[in-house]
Amino acid sequence: MDEARPRNNETAAASSSSSSPSSASASRLPVSSGWRPSRVVFGPYVPPQGEEATAQRPQRLRVAVAVRKPLVARLTKEIVETYQICNPKFKYSEDLNPKRFLTTPSVGVLNDGYDNVNSDLILTVNLVLVHAEKNKRYIVKDLLGHGTFGQVAKCWDSDTNSFVAVKIIKNQPAYYQQALVEVTILTTLNKKYDPEDKHHIVRIYDYFVYQRHLCICFELLDTNLYELIKMNHFRGLSLSIVQLFSKQILCGLALLKDAGIIHCDLKPENILLCTSTVKPAEIKIIDFGSACMENRTVYSYIQSRYYRSPEVLLGYQYTTAIDMWSFGCIVAELFLGLPLFPGASEFDLLRRMIEILGGQPPDYLLREAKNTSKFFKCIGSLQSIELSEGSKNGRSVYQALTEEEYEAREMKKPSVGKEYFNHMNLEAIVTNYPYRKNLPKEDIIRESQIRLALIDFLRGLVEFDPAKRWSPFQASKHPFVTGEPFTQPYQPPPETPRVPVVQTVKVDNNHPGGGHWFAAGLSPNVPGKSRPSLYSAHFQMMQYPPSNSYGSVGSHGSYNESIGLGSSYGSYGDNSNMFPYYSPVGPSGMNMHNQGGMAMLGNSPDARRRVKYQPGSGLGISPSTGNFTPLPLGASPSQFTPPSSYGQVGSPGHYGPTSPARGTTHGSPLGKTPAVSQFNRRKNWGYSGSPQTQETGFSSHWQGQGPDNSNLPEGTSQALGSTPSYVQSNMNPGHWKQRGSGGLSSNLAMQSTDLAHENADSGLSLPDPGDWDPNYSDELLLQEDGSDEGSLTNEFSRSMNLGSTEPWVGSGRLNHGTSTSSPMIIQRLPASGQAFSGEMGSSPMHHDLQAGFVPSMSKPFHYMPHVLQNSPSRFGHQPVQRFPHGRPPQSGDWNQLKVAPPPPSFGSVGQRSPRNTSFSNMTWGRRMNPPVSSMPPTSRARKDYARID
Amino acid sequence: MDNTSQESQLQSENSSTYESTYPLYAMAISSSSTSSNLQRIAVGSFIEEYTNRVDILSFNAETLTLRPNPSLSFDHPYPPTKLMFHPSTPSSLLRHSAVDLLATSGDYLRLWEVRESSVEALSLFNNSKTSEFCAPLTSFDWNDIDPKRIGTSSIDTTCTIWDIEKGVVETQLIAHDKEVYDIAWGEARVFSSVSADGSVRIFDLRDKEHSTIIYESPQPDTPLLRLAWNKQDLRYMATILMDSNKVVILDIRSPTMPVAELERHRGSVSAIAWAPQSSRHICSAGDDAQALIWELPTVAGPNGIDPMSVYSAGCEINQLQWSATQPDWIAIAFANKMQLLRV
Repeated sequence: MDEARPRNNETAAASSSSSSPSSASASRLPVSSGWRPSRVVFGPYVPPQGEEATAQRPQRLRVAVAVRKPLVARLTKEIVETYQICNPKFKYSEDLNPKRFLTTPSVGVLNDGYDNVNSDLILTVNLVLVHAEKNKRYIVKDLLGHGTFGQVAKCWDSDTNSFVAVKIIKNQPAYYQQALVEVTILTTLNKKYDPEDKHHIVRIYDYFVYQRHLCICFELLDTNLYELIKMNHFRGLSLSIVQLFSKQILCGLALLKDAGIIHCDLKPENILLCTSTVKPAEIKIIDFGSACMENRTVYSYIQSRYYRSPEVLLGYQYTTAIDMWSFGCIVAELFLGLPLFPGASEFDLLRRMIEILGGQPPDYLLREAKNTSKFFKCIGSLQSIELSEGSKNGRSVYQALTEEEYEAREMKKPSVGKEYFNHMNLEAIVTNYPYRKNLPKEDIIRESQIRLALIDFLRGLVEFDPAKRWSPFQASKHPFVTGEPFTQPYQPPPETPRVPVVQTVKVDNNHPGGGHWFAAGLSPNVPGKSRPSLYSAHFQMMQYPPSNSYGSVGSHGSYNESIGLGSSYGSYGDNSNMFPYYSPVGPSGMNMHNQGGMAMLGNSPDARRRVKYQPGSGLGISPSTGNFTPLPLGASPSQFTPPSSYGQVGSPGHYGPTSPARGTTHGSPLGKTPAVSQFNRRKNWGYSGSPQTQETGFSSHWQGQGPDNSNLPEGTSQALGSTPSYVQSNMNPGHWKQRGSGGLSSNLAMQSTDLAHENADSGLSLPDPGDWDPNYSDELLLQEDGSDEGSLTNEFSRSMNLGSTEPWVGSGRLNHGTSTSSPMIIQRLPASGQAFSGEMGSSPMHHDLQAGFVPSMSKPFHYMPHVLQNSPSRFGHQPVQRFPHGRPPQSGDWNQLKVAPPPPSFGSVGQRSPRNTSFSNMTWGRRMNPPVSSMPPTSRARKDYARID
Repeated sequence: MDNTSQESQLQSENSSTYESTYPLYAMAISSSSTSSNLQRIAVGSFIEEYTNRVDILSFNAETLTLRPNPSLSFDHPYPPTKLMFHPSTPSSLLRHSAVDLLATSGDYLRLWEVRESSVEALSLFNNSKTSEFCAPLTSFDWNDIDPKRIGTSSIDTTCTIWDIEKGVVETQLIAHDKEVYDIAWGEARVFSSVSADGSVRIFDLRDKEHSTIIYESPQPDTPLLRLAWNKQDLRYMATILMDSNKVVILDIRSPTMPVAELERHRGSVSAIAWAPQSSRHICSAGDDAQALIWELPTVAGPNGIDPMSVYSAGCEINQLQWSATQPDWIAIAFANKMQLLRV
């Protein structure tokens, strides 16, 4: 002992208690045991003071003893080394460790025992997926989800020191081929169109074949928007978040439109939050497993039902506009918390559309659509049909079938779902949607204005006529998105529909800078800053979507239009097989034999009008011409063509009226491979402009970061600024809760969601309608609808408050319980800092540990819910309830030290009680008796009661 | 110097030191007192050779004598990772009250019968399918409610629950994604474990399909080396991280977020033990040669929690045990020494 210790322990204790908050607080607590350590051997703790305090002795000793790990480490972390020192013959092999199976069933019956009966690769924890060519290793850590396509595993990439999501496709040709399409589309989207990752499309990192399984490596993302809504009790998100998300989705859709790609399965489940805290509240569009190129619309049975566009439902040619319909549905759902058109069947879906939107698909569409007769009857004379333009006098010759009529025709009753919004139209649904509680009057007024903007916005998206439906670019200029005040119905800037043309022209990809745009004299480096000032606010971002520029190329626009239609619709056909429809027609590519093509054009005055107006007027306000070297291609002088535009439009040399590409397209038997290669070729060609410039344009607008953003209204930027952190802080509890699900009735929801994924995927891979039911959340919705709140408590108790909904107090809701019997007391810790319960002594736990912890929770998942199954393995699986660090479930109100409180502007976050959640999810509670009654109520101010059975 | 001499006298009256000829690591205090108030203490060597030793000492708390029993020393393959006496009076199991059961872990789990003047190897529990390879056990815990159960933790990522009466494996669970470093029973069928994967997980033998992660180390995959479950209040447990001066106190009802982090050690923490008689006291010892006794406050102050009292050993403390039957005594091991300290 090198320092004298005061012998008077009382003095020491007194001094220490005055300086140490722990002792101070302890003194006012009933110390039930009464035990306190005496200080005969132990001395009082003297806080270190300055340098002198750093213990010198041990360090000196450490040198003497040589630098070795503490024995505890040498017998844990280094035990193999230690034992090998003790006995050089000691042998340990990691390979002999029991395997934890992630795949079920885990019995290897196919592919030399590597695959199970479903052709899924049998995954175990720490299995290494090897990309042989690149010598890359992905270590499987967990299963994120599975579907008909295969499985998605969370893997560790040691090269990058990060987790990735690897989609491991089933070892079957159909899935393999379909996944290759996804790879091609995503690779192209990422590399050619979005090299800087600014357009909210999931990144594909790698793909390879391992044990005959195609493995696609994606960036790892977080919760999807459906889960987010679910966490929010199926209540709508705040308008500022809806706006924020809308903007980002539009940014992605604009890119898809540029690339001529239709997602075909846009829905909240396929929009995921990013994990990165660097990009709070950023979302990404995922799952391009059913995507197609606009000129290769093979399948007719696409899109998940709630988000299915009328043209797809009716069996009409479709374009990227179907994604805009889905987008409209998503925006509405984000706001309402419930799907806008939760059709229990296609009949029900259409019925809801007609009722809510007040109208029906235009006659030209109904006349040509394959399934019209299934849902409509003709009430006009034959003549009037032939006269066409039936809608000219405002009267349609088609009338939707009633339920009885449908039943008579189809010989079966249509399933009709519940009404959530009581026969209201869109305006009423949005207007009457309950406001947040306790909202100040001025806020209500403000929000009601934004709601008007939202209605107008939705009207342009869930528009029956695909030709009138707004493009991503047009929608992105809507006041609801831009945050400008909404004063009158929005008139979108004109836009020529996208021209999907497959180019066969070869481009020397080795000279990205020497592409056609350079040849055309375009400057690839348009200063982004100067651009916005040249435009009115509305057209500020005129240059933004390259799609916009397509239409601006002189008379090509109208021609392209028809080509485009012929092209993309030419492939339309029966879902069973498209191949017969592809005939090696002439290079004009006009697929006259098909029902699309010209006929539609003739009947689509709107489309035509737009086409015709486009060249002259489209960018008539473009004063920017001077900024650019005019195109030497005889285009309209007013034309504005950003360098990012794609080649097929602006390059006269290659874009011939006869479009050889079209011939090629149709001549190909729609093999995946030809499709891929052509796709690439076209992209490469188009890419020969300047990607950087394109990016500049994009980023400045969409990210709201660039200087271009300066003209955004103040309020908007504030919202943008504050929302992210807000959302982030909320995501965490939500995420946590999501993982926590699985105990009780929440399984139901998870399973149904799971089902949806499977269905969706089967839809994309096996286009058999009977096999594909997009009705992913019907059960859930019905459950919610048909029962009182209590039945959903489990869902709700895992939920969180996101944005605009009113705060809720855990105790209130949790009292509903989940058909449970044993009361559970959840103690909240005090608000300040870290805390330790004061009841330790007074409320010793029942010896039965039930009250204490939270075993038996389901697997964590990211992409999709995953319901765990047993394995025949000798060893039990140990899926875990994971509470990832850095994602504390606690809300800011009681753990301020660790969780940043949400910004004041989102003060409605309210209390969340994730712990309640965990308790209400305890499966052990259900199994075990007796009920835990031994835990007395705590002395904390806030108590939350949850019931478990 | 008056103070110092008085202090040393005070110390000598309240502590007792045993000096071995080799470094000590594992240590156990018997839960039963033999005749004449003698308490058995087992210490295991840490010798970098195949043959290690386990010595049984007798401690008389009244006379403060700590006496080795050479006849009770026995060889042990490899340094034992943990020693533990049967958690309760083994009268039901054994004929003589003077007989103690001692379990040791290392390459395998072994049971020893400690008699009056001899030690007999009772059984060896080996679950391995190969003789060539061995997955060492990093720790084990004897279930004090149901003493026929012993749970072991292994670097092969599993925890094995043995029925030592029948000598069979009750269950083996792949508890973690990496090596398991410690295991602790909460109740008859509930145990918890810590691992190189940085997580604390709770398992219930009635539902082996699931586990609950109570905590994950902030730096991904920072190994958690030791785990102590508060037997006085099972809501709380404590764990330590490798190369960290922190003792992390967890409330299993609020996963993820530690309720307290005790950060007053000046070196990495090596051992932790909850007070057997108080739910809110815990002792920790570490590489800074200090043993600290903490009282957990209701609310932590802004500057963290200070320990109540400190004991400084001569060098790095490797082991710490708090006697359940004589809660006034804490045993620590450092270098070649085992020391009993009155608290």
